[in-house]
Amino acid sequence: MSKQVPETIKKQKKRSFNSKEVKQEKNEKRTKLLKEIQEKAYKRAEKYEKEYLEQDQKLKELKQKALKEGSFYREPEPKLAFIIRIRGIVGVPPKPRKILQLLRLRRIYSGVFIRLNKSSLRMLHFIDPYVTWGYPDVETVRALIYKRGHARVNHQRKIIDSNEMIYDKLQKYDIVCMEDLVHEIFTVGKNFKHANSFLWAFKLKPPVGGFSTVKKSFVNKGEHGNREQYINTLVKKMI
Amino acid sequence: MTTQQLRPIVSVFPIKGKVKTIKQVPLPSVFSAPIRPDVVRFVHTNMAKNNRQAHAVSTTAGEQTSATSWGTGRAVARIPRVKGSGTGRSGQAAFGNMCRGGRMYAPKKVWRKWHRKINTNQKRYAVCSAIAATAVTPLVMSRGHRVNKLPELPLVVSDQLQSLTKTRQAVKFLKFIGAYRDVEKVIRTKKTRVGQGKYRNRRHVLRKGPMVVYARNLGIKKAFRNIPGVETASVYTLNLLKLAPGSQMGRFIIWTESAFKLLEDIYGSWEKPSKFKSGFYLPRPVMVNTDVERIIKSDQVQTVLRNRRPRSRKYGKKIQRADPYEDMSVMLKLNPYYKTKLQKQKELEEKNKEERKEIVDKSRKEYEDWLYFSEEEEEEEEEGSDEDREIEVLSDEN
Repeated sequence: MSKQVPETIKKQKKRSFNSKEVKQEKNEKRTKLLKEIQEKAYKRAEKYEKEYLEQDQKLKELKQKALKEGSFYREPEPKLAFIIRIRGIVGVPPKPRKILQLLRLRRIYSGVFIRLNKSSLRMLHFIDPYVTWGYPDVETVRALIYKRGHARVNHQRKIIDSNEMIYDKLQKYDIVCMEDLVHEIFTVGKNFKHANSFLWAFKLKPPVGGFSTVKKSFVNKGEHGNREQYINTLVKKMI
Repeated sequence: MTTQQLRPIVSVFPIKGKVKTIKQVPLPSVFSAPIRPDVVRFVHTNMAKNNRQAHAVSTTAGEQTSATSWGTGRAVARIPRVKGSGTGRSGQAAFGNMCRGGRMYAPKKVWRKWHRKINTNQKRYAVCSAIAATAVTPLVMSRGHRVNKLPELPLVVSDQLQSLTKTRQAVKFLKFIGAYRDVEKVIRTKKTRVGQGKYRNRRHVLRKGPMVVYARNLGIKKAFRNIPGVETASVYTLNLLKLAPGSQMGRFIIWTESAFKLLEDIYGSWEKPSKFKSGFYLPRPVMVNTDVERIIKSDQVQTVLRNRRPRSRKYGKKIQRADPYEDMSVMLKLNPYYKTKLQKQKELEEKNKEERKEIVDKSRKEYEDWLYFSEEEEEEEEEGSDEDREIEVLSDEN
């Protein structure tokens, strides 16, 4: 006697969203999409490398030119800052506490990127004693996003495993891969806000070699406050 | 409830001869009533209290002393103590529930509420449930009745049963129909009661055997009276305490044909009310179709559902990932250009190296040239000085 298949199972198999063909089709679409994303990622990475090189060279040229003429070249003010919270939670007054919350710096050694404008500079002024910040270069931004970059997916913190993750969330802002993300953050593009909010706040390790004294500002041989380009060396120790 | 009108057929059997269907009758609607063990339990527990007799403790028990507390300062507890002397009883504690010979805590009173009122409809609901359960073989078996050899459940038998007068005839019938195994069980398991009831005129305990339900008593009552375990009942007065003994549904019932047919009139159906219980309709089940799985998997439901959300296995579990700066495969997954970038960097470095080498070689050569040239100059100067010396030597000799 042939094996009798229950009617409900027969019906289930018929229904479209369960059938093999539909699943296969979906899979094919997905692999195609992944391939496209990777191709785009390659091309864009190439483009951005050139762009960064050109930027550097341009800056050098302008400086040299100015020197020759006997004047200065005033570099454009930095647009991007990386902030690291270097003091703990205990005993923080309400205003700095709120600002740290708004900047997503909720725990010690957490770091975020921030776009520098008058309003954000004002915010940084209030939280200076609790953070150290500076202007990261491309390699720092890259290292942070590649090594410690976690995405906010479904209200969850997930490590960025593949470009597909970035594509799903940020495709509408034309950010498709890791290098796109890095570029958007580093150059503070039009969609900096979305790229930045896609990233969960970075959780860094305490610095190798330690701090001198967090109570003093960087300018006074301490650690807090603006340390401009020296943020890069610090991030290397904390990443 | 029109879906329930497909009423199955039940066979009627004779009381002797061959166990063969002599007639077929439709199943009364009661047997499709919802089987509600919770309702039956509630009604049964309350109904069972209604045959209780009042009892109480004597009102004066433990109070027949004139005991008084000795008060403090005597190194004894402050409980009332029996007055007087000259007997062991004097000075003993009295009155308290903790005292020997004292009155109990909250002495029982006869005016305790012994009986319970139950809503009529609830009672009828329970009876309908219990009757419905008697047709469900698993329930009857789980109650413990031996029903394997029966030709059918519910067991309906011709009206001739009602005219039996002799116990011998009754036993013969039970054996004929296959119900005697249940009676045998009862006989076999007759025991002395455990507990004090045994010397309070409740010596033996019997199981419950088959119950015979009749429409007219033409001798059947007396015929089955003496058979251990067997009970008879008129169909007009079915008792829940007998239909579901111990609030356990599924009594084994033997119906006579007329009794069986009367059930339709006595309990009515969902369309027609009962003829004997005014305004009573059969209770309706909460769910008409209880096969939930079937309902969910039916076409009508499935076509209206949205598609199942894909299980996001992509970001499902916590993804462990190596450091891209240490693991090239991870890096290439994120940035496929990385290898090319490294290559280009290497090329650039090498190119720079070569260029620098050229520059370094060139400058070294220049330095060596300069050094060589300066040596030549020095040599020339030295030759000049030698000549001068010779002249001076000649002069000295003079």
